[in-house]
Amino acid sequence: MRFECRGLTFTYPGAEKPVLENLHFSMAAPGFNAVFGPSGVGKTSFARILAGGNNGPGGDALIYEGIATILYSYNQERLPGWASTGNHLEKVCPPEKSDLKKELVRIFKVDALLGSRFSQLSMGQQNRMNLIRYLIQDFDLLILDESLANVDEALRESIILAIKEMFPAKLFLYISHNLMEVARFCKDILVLSRPGKNKGAVVVPGQNYETGYTADPQAIDRSMLEIMNAV
Amino acid sequence: MLFRRIYQFLIVYCLGVTGLLAIKYATGLSNYVIPDLTLLFDTARRMLTGYFFDVLNTLSVTVLGQMVSIFMAFFVGIIGRKSSWAGSFIKVMAYNIQAYPIVALAPIIFILIGDGFLSRLLIASMICYFPLLLSVLGIMASPIKDIEHFYIATGRMRWQLEVKIRAFENLNKLTTVIAGSATLAMAGTIVAEFIAADQGIGYSIRIALYQSDLARILVALFSIGIIISVYQGILETVGEQIKTKWFAPKGGELI
Repeated sequence: MRFECRGLTFTYPGAEKPVLENLHFSMAAPGFNAVFGPSGVGKTSFARILAGGNNGPGGDALIYEGIATILYSYNQERLPGWASTGNHLEKVCPPEKSDLKKELVRIFKVDALLGSRFSQLSMGQQNRMNLIRYLIQDFDLLILDESLANVDEALRESIILAIKEMFPAKLFLYISHNLMEVARFCKDILVLSRPGKNKGAVVVPGQNYETGYTADPQAIDRSMLEIMNAV
Repeated sequence: MLFRRIYQFLIVYCLGVTGLLAIKYATGLSNYVIPDLTLLFDTARRMLTGYFFDVLNTLSVTVLGQMVSIFMAFFVGIIGRKSSWAGSFIKVMAYNIQAYPIVALAPIIFILIGDGFLSRLLIASMICYFPLLLSVLGIMASPIKDIEHFYIATGRMRWQLEVKIRAFENLNKLTTVIAGSATLAMAGTIVAEFIAADQGIGYSIRIALYQSDLARILVALFSIGIIISVYQGILETVGEQIKTKWFAPKGGELI
């Protein structure tokens, strides 16, 4: 599995300046990676371009090897309101992934919410419910654009660790503004800086902690400093 | 909902009659021009039952015409929701035809089909069809991206699901438009009856008009107002019940 970006530039129609300019980077293996950068730097635009694959606006600048299915989830998605969330999950769950769904429901702590409608959930609960339905699909690359926003830190940590453990052969791109979180749990962190800064995209290695980890504060500080220097 | 509609109509009707009486007494007009309350009540006593059945006759055509329009509007709206050439053609055509006063075509329909049920039905349907179509087209052509994204990304989107999502998200708008179109359908049927029918409340008003009998016309308007209020109230109540059944029960709004 390999994912490479060769000179990706993208300008919105009618805009004077590109939102992404001449991005070069490569991610060579499955794992839980991140995209980090200040607000407005183009993370979501980048994610949507990636989700479009070679047929999207990224075109030939994107090279995917061993990646056939790309899914993009974001934190404002909603489930239809005419049935309970459990009912919706059931409908979109392939039969062979029924056990996986049950396991995810338990880990994401949404068991008690399966009988509720989506609009009755809090934002954090909505995001967890939405992420589950993506994780039970077939995918090679899953982009999580703030998909765990509004979830408390402890639960977010256990969810990320569980995802890493349960999907070791998949590639994840986790978009987050939480510097500490990406430094601790992500393998490669793609740091985007504003176009014109001549930095483009830099891939910084994270600590990639897994279940049962022992934190090394100095190593985390180093990763965080590297990320901040790359912004 | 039902009673609110009736109260609202009664208030407007009473204000209208009061205005007419004010003009009558201010300018000293005779009962022949504007009837006084005694004549009005006397006419109501004699004519109300007959007019009631006339309005029911008109209403039956209205309901049928509206159902035809709703079905047609959804059928064409669903086909026209796509950005294909067919969809664009339907949208442009609907906008342009909407700008034309459809009621002006009524004489052509009577010439081609003659008096009777079918002409009334056709005119009623045509008059409420285009405003309905524009609303349905607008709703069906607007994607609900936050919900549809997942189904598109995972290859699960079917036209039935797309229509269901968009209809559900715009249920309030649809209910209001359908209830509102009842008035248009009623107006269409009455206009058809004015022109050439031999049944319905429009026909009865035409007779009263030829006799310059304002008391009868006011009684006919009263019957129309009460019955259309009840009909719209029923439509809104049905809409509310669908919403209650479909939507999640809320524990109460904080803001």
